[in-house]
Amino acid sequence: MALRKIREAGDPVLEKKCRPVEEMTPRIRELIGDMLDTMYEAMGVGLAAPQVGILKRIVVIDIGEGPLVMINPQIVKTEGEQTGDEGCLSIPGMAGQVTRPNYVKAVYLTEEMEEAEIEGTELLARAICHECDHLDGIMYTQHVEGELHRVEYEEEEE
Amino acid sequence: MIKGVNTRELILGVLLEVNEEGKPSHLVLKNVLTKYQFLPKQDRAFITRVCEGTLEYRIQIDYIIDFFSKVKVEKMKPVIREILRSGVYQLGYMDSVPDSAVCNEAVKLAQKKGFYNLKPFVNGVLRTIARELDSVTYPSREEDPIGYLSVEYSMPPVLAERWVKEYGELTTEKMLVDFLQEKPVTIRCRDYLTSKKISREETVESLKNQGIKIMPAPYLDYAYYISGFDHIYTLDAFREGRIQVQDVSSMLVAEAANPQKGDYVIDLCASPGGKSFHVADKMEGYGMVDARDVTPFKADLILENMQRLKTINVKASVKDATILDAESECTADIVLADVPCSGYGVIGKKPDIKYHMTPQKQKELVILQRTILDRAAQYVKSKGVLIYSTCTIAKEENQENVKWFQENYPFQLESLAPYLPEELKGEIAEEGYLQLLPGVHKTDGFFLARFRRK
Repeated sequence: MALRKIREAGDPVLEKKCRPVEEMTPRIRELIGDMLDTMYEAMGVGLAAPQVGILKRIVVIDIGEGPLVMINPQIVKTEGEQTGDEGCLSIPGMAGQVTRPNYVKAVYLTEEMEEAEIEGTELLARAICHECDHLDGIMYTQHVEGELHRVEYEEEEE
Repeated sequence: MIKGVNTRELILGVLLEVNEEGKPSHLVLKNVLTKYQFLPKQDRAFITRVCEGTLEYRIQIDYIIDFFSKVKVEKMKPVIREILRSGVYQLGYMDSVPDSAVCNEAVKLAQKKGFYNLKPFVNGVLRTIARELDSVTYPSREEDPIGYLSVEYSMPPVLAERWVKEYGELTTEKMLVDFLQEKPVTIRCRDYLTSKKISREETVESLKNQGIKIMPAPYLDYAYYISGFDHIYTLDAFREGRIQVQDVSSMLVAEAANPQKGDYVIDLCASPGGKSFHVADKMEGYGMVDARDVTPFKADLILENMQRLKTINVKASVKDATILDAESECTADIVLADVPCSGYGVIGKKPDIKYHMTPQKQKELVILQRTILDRAAQYVKSKGVLIYSTCTIAKEENQENVKWFQENYPFQLESLAPYLPEELKGEIAEEGYLQLLPGVHKTDGFFLARFRRK
C-alpha cells in the first residue's frame, strides 16, 4: 500500500463524472487501501477516488469511528439541515460554511461487493454528501455560503 | 473531506497560549477573533465566552476537577488539563451546551491531539462532573475564610490573603465579586475632531441608529457604556473617530493633568494612546503630546488610533521610558507616567492577571516603576506637573512609590480635589492622591497622583 498524490482544485479530473465499479479486482482493492492511507495521512475524514485521479465511484470515510468504504454509493434519503464549516483535501488549508442535510441514508456496495445500507447524522451525514458530490464532479465550493477562509490555528506574531 | 474550523480546538489553542506560555489573554483572544472574523456570530461569542470564563473561573474549576479526579490538575498533560477545564466550564457555567455534547467534543479533541489512550479518562472525569457537580463540598467561610474567598471567587489565595490584610474581608469580598461581573465597554465621546468641535448628541444618535445600547457611565458626562455589537469596527462612530474605548478611571488622568492649550506633554508609557488622545483633545488641537512606548508594536498601536481619531497634536515614537532621554530634560509642562504595573485593578477585564504575579515579579515591577519615575522627574519643567498612575491596588506600587518619590525628588504632591468630579472628591486621600477600588467605586481599580515640580 502506498500514499497517492491528492489532486488539487483546478485539476480537470475533479470535475468529471465517475463510472460505477462493475467487479472487485486486486487493483481496486489496492486503490481502496491507498485511499485510506492517503486520507489518514492528510488528517481527512473522507476521500473520493477522483481525488487521487481515478474516475471510479469509490469513497472512503472515517469520522473517528473506524473506516467506512463505500462502492457505488447512492443517497436515498435526507432530512433536516446543518450549517457548518467544511473543508476538502483538494483545497488544502481552506474551509467554508456549507449547509447539508443533518440526516442521510445511503446504499452502497462493500469491498466484498455486497449490498449495504448506512444512516448517518451530523458529521457522518456531511461527509457522505461531500464525498458523493465528488463522484459527480461537484466540489463543496459550489455550495459555500460566503467566502472561503484559512483554517490553521497559528500563533500571531506580536 | 476535512473538518473545517473546530471552535473547541481554537479554544484549546487560546487556553494553552495563555496558561502554558503566559501570554496575555485579551491579546491572544483578540488575535483569534480577528483571524476568524468570518465565523458566525454565535461561534465567535462561544469562543469568547468559553475562553474568558474558563480563565476567569480557573481556580474554582480546578477545585471541582480535583474533587473528582484521581490525577490532580497540576499533574495532567497541558492539553488534557485545558480540555477538561473548558469542558467543566461548559458543564457548570453555561446552559446552552448539552452535557453529552461537551463530553463527546472533549473526547474527540483529546484523540485528535494524539491522546487516544486518555479518551476514557477525559470521558470519565467529565461525565462524573456532569452527574455529580452538586455534590462538591467547598471550603467553609467560617473555618477557612481565605480558602472560601479563593475558591468562591476564583482568586489565588496569596492575593485574597493580602487584600484581606490591607483592605479587610468585607472590602475584599466586594472587589472579588466585582471582578467576576461582566464589564460593559466604556467609551469617551470626543468633543473635538480634527480640531473642530463636534456634537456629542450626534455621536450618541449615530450609535443608537446602529442599534447600540448606550448608557451614561458614572463620574464623567462624556463617558458612556455601550453594548450590543459584535465588533467595534462595525460602528460608524468608532471608524469616524468620534469615540475612544477607555475606562472612566483612565479618563481621570487627563482631568487630573488639566492641560492648557499649547502645553508640551510627554506620555511615557502611552500605548495604545487613550490618555494621550484625551489630553490632546482637551488642548483642542493646540500644543503637542509626545506619546512614547517601548516597542515598535506598541507605537504602531498609537499610530493606528491616531489615524482613526485624526488627531493632529499627538506624535508617536518608540522610546524606552527607563532610558534617560537627555533632549527631553526640563522640557515638558506635563509628564504622564502611567507605569507598567501588576494590573490588579483590571482583573475583571483581564482575568489572567491574577495568575501571573509572583513576589519576584512584584519586586521587579516596583524597581521598574521607580526607574521610570526617576526619568519622568527629569523631563518636567520647573513648576510643571507630573501625573503618576497605575491600574492596580497594590500599596507598594502606589502609596509607597508616591512617598518614596516625594522624599527623593523636588516635587510636591498636590491635591486632586480641584480636578475631579464632585462625586469623587470625598474619596481623595488626605495626602491628595486617589485610590479607586473595584466594587467600591464604579470603575476599574486605579491609582492617581499629581505632583508639581518645585
